[in-house]
Amino acid sequence: MNSGIREQESGVRIQETPDTLKLGNVEFKSRLILGTGKFSDTETMIKAIEASGTELVTVALRRFNPKQPNDDLYRPLAQLKNVTLMPNTSGAMNAKEAVRAAQLGRELSGSSFVKVEIHPNPHHLMPDPIETYAAAKELAADGFIVLPYIPADPVLAKKLEDAGCAAVMPLGAAIGSGGGLSTADMLALIIRDSNIPVIVDAGLRSPSEAAAAMEMGCDAVLVNSAIAAAENPVAMARAFALGVETGYAAHEAGLMPRSDIAVATSPLTSFLK
Amino acid sequence: MKNLPIWLDPEPWLNRKFSPTEIQTALGAESPSEETLAALLSPAAVDFLEPMAARAQALTRRHFGRTVQLYVPLYLSSYCPGGCAYCGFASDRNTARHKLSLEQVETELAALEKMGFEEILLLTGERTPEADFDYVRDCVERAARRFHSVNIEMFPMSETEYRELAEAGCSGVTLYQETYHPETYAAMHRWGPKSDFSERLEAPARALAGGQRFAGLGALLGLSDPLFDCLALYRHARHLQKTHWQSGLTISFPRIQREAGDFTPPHPVSNSQLAQIVFAFRIVLPDVPLVLSTRETPALRDGLAGLGINKMSVASKTTVGGYAEEGSEDVSRRSRAKAEGQFDVSDARGVEEFCAMLRSKNLEPVFKNWDAAYR
Repeated sequence: MNSGIREQESGVRIQETPDTLKLGNVEFKSRLILGTGKFSDTETMIKAIEASGTELVTVALRRFNPKQPNDDLYRPLAQLKNVTLMPNTSGAMNAKEAVRAAQLGRELSGSSFVKVEIHPNPHHLMPDPIETYAAAKELAADGFIVLPYIPADPVLAKKLEDAGCAAVMPLGAAIGSGGGLSTADMLALIIRDSNIPVIVDAGLRSPSEAAAAMEMGCDAVLVNSAIAAAENPVAMARAFALGVETGYAAHEAGLMPRSDIAVATSPLTSFLK
Repeated sequence: MKNLPIWLDPEPWLNRKFSPTEIQTALGAESPSEETLAALLSPAAVDFLEPMAARAQALTRRHFGRTVQLYVPLYLSSYCPGGCAYCGFASDRNTARHKLSLEQVETELAALEKMGFEEILLLTGERTPEADFDYVRDCVERAARRFHSVNIEMFPMSETEYRELAEAGCSGVTLYQETYHPETYAAMHRWGPKSDFSERLEAPARALAGGQRFAGLGALLGLSDPLFDCLALYRHARHLQKTHWQSGLTISFPRIQREAGDFTPPHPVSNSQLAQIVFAFRIVLPDVPLVLSTRETPALRDGLAGLGINKMSVASKTTVGGYAEEGSEDVSRRSRAKAEGQFDVSDARGVEEFCAMLRSKNLEPVFKNWDAAYR
């Protein structure tokens, strides 16, 4: 989905605030979303968040630990100004567990955002499309701003849009794999037909890949491992911010069309004149 | 058991020789296999310990970030009818036996909760009238009221029993085969229910079928040829990944040290061999949590944290209970631990000291990595 004026199927032109990412009823200037696991310490995580300029971070319910401040990811994040919290359901194996986790997350954080993340196989962490759809539908009906983490499947993406999701978050490659935009062809199809923001989540390794995703027309990217596991997470967070900004600017500027065919000096169709 | 099932038998990979080039290939393997593991465990790979460590660290960081997950064991009972030659709880050992009453269990759980733990591992010996299934279920229920993650390391159970424990709040079952080598297994497990190789081998699959989310596997290094046991352990894990695709596995590397009774391991594994094994497993199973307990020394644990290992026990006591008395530690208690523990703890550091070490290595200690919502 592009910002600015766009035409819906119905032919109604709707005006959006240019240059903002709108999720539910909330607008964000930054198009970089951060995951909060995998950091070596809270201080690095906070500095990385600040360096990235992000306004939306996701945190796993299973890392909420109200009993022990030292082990709690939620509290330090909640204290950040200008950053919205999005609890996620990582660890849930099915829709039932995800819904329960989402409700607990909303109760504890006061945020209606939820990243629905259901990966029944805890090793490769691939999202379960069937359970994710069921949970997303139920949570959207319950008033959540739902961002489902999904396989790069154009049909599923449209079904989730119809179910009331605020965005879809297809994977670029497996979580933590650094495989980049290995699903690029499918992502292009999802972007082409989506009326809700498309956010590439998982798999990115480098800011250039984030830029490439934005150039393709993604509305935002979500990054965790690539920042947390970098040699210098804070510097990498800044680099990703620049990558996203560059890619978005390039997309808005309109890339020159790609063409393999040289333009003939004597046009083939000159006989028509 | 005379012959191992075909999915487990490591025989085809046992007598391979590997060249340095083949070790290099194994190090960068995109689809690791038994062949990769055999190469990385071979004598030729000893010269590649440093690049193996670097690869193990990179993979650990990629999949688990700069974190180490912490848990604590609680021994509920030391009664055991088993005849395991290497174990301090074996029935022919002259150690005093203890079992926590349910009131004592509460006290111990409260003490551990106060120490900040969120993941607990409850242990017993083999099934006895003193510590039977009903007792175990009662303990699990109590633990589940206080901890988000409750796991057990006990006697093999039936699928129905595992299901009942899942309903009581147990998320995972750790059960080491000890050795996958049938003759060694028979020699080591001299009498008692544990002498049944197959009963034990099939228990993790029953646990997963019974609704347990995690299965912890391991071989007790030192009992048998480590190459044999490591290959079989890897094959066991891969088999379960295929048959129970929704399950989480963890792999531990317990190493037999001198126990009460002065058992001498027939195939001792050195520190550098143990490190090689850990690195090799990280490379062939990049997304499986690898565990190291307080059996090992501080120096080795500090070195391997984040270098393949991403989950560790801390502040462990291998005697029955013992956490609630913390603070009244004196000479007599320490000598009791020496005489009555299942094995000697080599890393006696407390939670704070251990976490400070992890932080100094730029690793975050994680206590809560699960939620009771997922039960």
